Amino acid sequence: MIYGDKKTGVLVQGATGKQGEFHIGLMNAYAQQVGGRGVVAGVTPGKGGKEVHGVPVYNTVKEAMRDHDISAGVIFVPAAAAADSIMEEATAGIQTIVAITEHIPVHDTMKAIAYAEMEGCCVIGPNCPGLLSPGELKMGIMPSGLFLPGNVGVISRSGTLTYEVVDELTRAGIGQSTVVGIGGDPVIGQTFVDVLERFGNDPQTKAVVLIGEVGGNLEEEGAKSTDLPIVSYIAGISAPPDKRMGHAGAIVEGGEGDARSKIARLKKMGVPVASRPSEIPQIVRNLFRDHC
Amino acid sequence: MKLREYEAKNVIKEAGIPVPAGFLIRSADELIPHLGALGDSFVLKAQVDVGGRGKAGGILMAGRTDGITIAQELFGRQIKGLPVKEILAEQRLDIQHEYYLSITVDRSSRRPLILFTEAGGVDIEITAKEHPEAIRKVIANPLMREIPPFMIRELLGTAPKEIGPVISKLYRVFLEKDALLAEINPLVTTPKGVYAADAKLIVDDNALGRQGFSVNRDLTERECEAEKHGFSYVELTGTIGVIGNGAGLTMSTLDLIGFYGGSAANFLDVGGGAESERVMHAVRLVGSVPSVKVIVVNLLGGITKCDEVAKGIIAAAIPQKVIVRLAGTNEAEGRAMLSEKGYEMLDTMDLVVKKAVEVAA
Repeated sequence: MIYGDKKTGVLVQGATGKQGEFHIGLMNAYAQQVGGRGVVAGVTPGKGGKEVHGVPVYNTVKEAMRDHDISAGVIFVPAAAAADSIMEEATAGIQTIVAITEHIPVHDTMKAIAYAEMEGCCVIGPNCPGLLSPGELKMGIMPSGLFLPGNVGVISRSGTLTYEVVDELTRAGIGQSTVVGIGGDPVIGQTFVDVLERFGNDPQTKAVVLIGEVGGNLEEEGAKSTDLPIVSYIAGISAPPDKRMGHAGAIVEGGEGDARSKIARLKKMGVPVASRPSEIPQIVRNLFRDHC
Repeated sequence: MKLREYEAKNVIKEAGIPVPAGFLIRSADELIPHLGALGDSFVLKAQVDVGGRGKAGGILMAGRTDGITIAQELFGRQIKGLPVKEILAEQRLDIQHEYYLSITVDRSSRRPLILFTEAGGVDIEITAKEHPEAIRKVIANPLMREIPPFMIRELLGTAPKEIGPVISKLYRVFLEKDALLAEINPLVTTPKGVYAADAKLIVDDNALGRQGFSVNRDLTERECEAEKHGFSYVELTGTIGVIGNGAGLTMSTLDLIGFYGGSAANFLDVGGGAESERVMHAVRLVGSVPSVKVIVVNLLGGITKCDEVAKGIIAAAIPQKVIVRLAGTNEAEGRAMLSEKGYEMLDTMDLVVKKAVEVAA
């Protein structure tokens, strides 16, 4: 496991909103299934004293921390207030903050992440589906039915594409240690490098699938940083330059970050790159044959 | 969203960075009252939303006597297919040296990155490749409103000290305007001081509202329509319409079309929790593109309700063939509804894409 396990107590900000309420239900259904603690408290300013699926709601993170043992937070609050929520959790001493919220202005994200870094905590996202360690912990919105416990780590900038790949792996009988959606924005907290470092220290993880897309060069930086066997897939080979492909971070700018050159650089480092998601399981099998 | 040159220059001028005297005109006649102020020789710059306008004939030199004629000529031109509706008439500067200054968002450090080089005026990408040592970089702390003086000294090196305040002021613009890029190229020295001869500002699309913009001008009409429904939409040039949920999966579907030898007409990400009405709008929007022969719908997710999606596809009732891959809640109901109406449903994304490529061929 990385980032947390069954014993992790989770706090949800934006608990009384439509998204927050819905996903507290799903996260706690998963926690019950695996015997974990799950979401123990919610926060929505002005809604303190309420309950959501039996989870007590507080006005502030500090108040929730006074009553509960909490080490991780999931944020569902709207974009205009999400950076503030990250800083509130960091100040209260929460170690792992998962920001699901999409459309946060980049300058707000830069500030919130710099602030969280100063407080010594890590941010996953924003604009991400969160993470899931099968059999242990779900923080975020990933559909748990697709997952299988095992020893392949998955890191991705996407949501549904991650589910597609996890589905392919599970159908092929390849289980996952932890699946992390790091987010589709240009500025994100945990990057491929950070998650790979955690996987490197995780005895359960034997290989990693790295799902990237056009924009920036975080995939290459990640691949360079690790000794773990990795397989990659890069989405957006057909993306035209200077067009945002759904994710704020998925854009080829100034001739940089296009899929072809990304794939070429990864291959040069010796990383096998799948040309479509359905090829990933076979490449993972080959890796296990060659490395384990 | 990229601001036009005159808008960017107004912003940096307000921040206290000197720009050449200039006037925005919407017809050649509007130039007449400004001829005195512009002097013997000036520049006419077409304000069009395309890159490389200089090479495409969008920038012309003019003088007091031929200015009106040249402005008329420029208004009559098309720059990369776009009509010229506005021209910035600008005083010519007596340039001594050209510098380059930019501030961007650096993905690796997650912080603002400031670049400065004394080899300005030319293409920065070429300088970066051929003389990377000529580009000086510092990474700023986004929690600070100012850049500390030592960073400015590091950037300037032996360049004139009077450029320092320009860096501080541009950094403030970068923060206050939610910029993804704030660039002055070239930043020039003249006998009268330092000037921003050209300026570029790109505002974060996620901050347009608080920056006072009601529309994103970078989008086409259909892309704007899509935005109203909350879709991410990009127009391409092929024949296969693509609807998916999630940016990564939709991009991956496009790529797969290429892999099987087809070409995509668009990219439409419906986003999370697709209800029937959203799906209907998505299918109709893609169906309204004349070049679309067939549409692939690739929706996957734990919370996507397949019966809702099926309802939306049927309600859209478009003439083109729609091939569907659906996985999620109420899958059986959704499948039953679609197959009853004769829609083709396939189990994997490889299969739907292969089929669509065959149909489009």
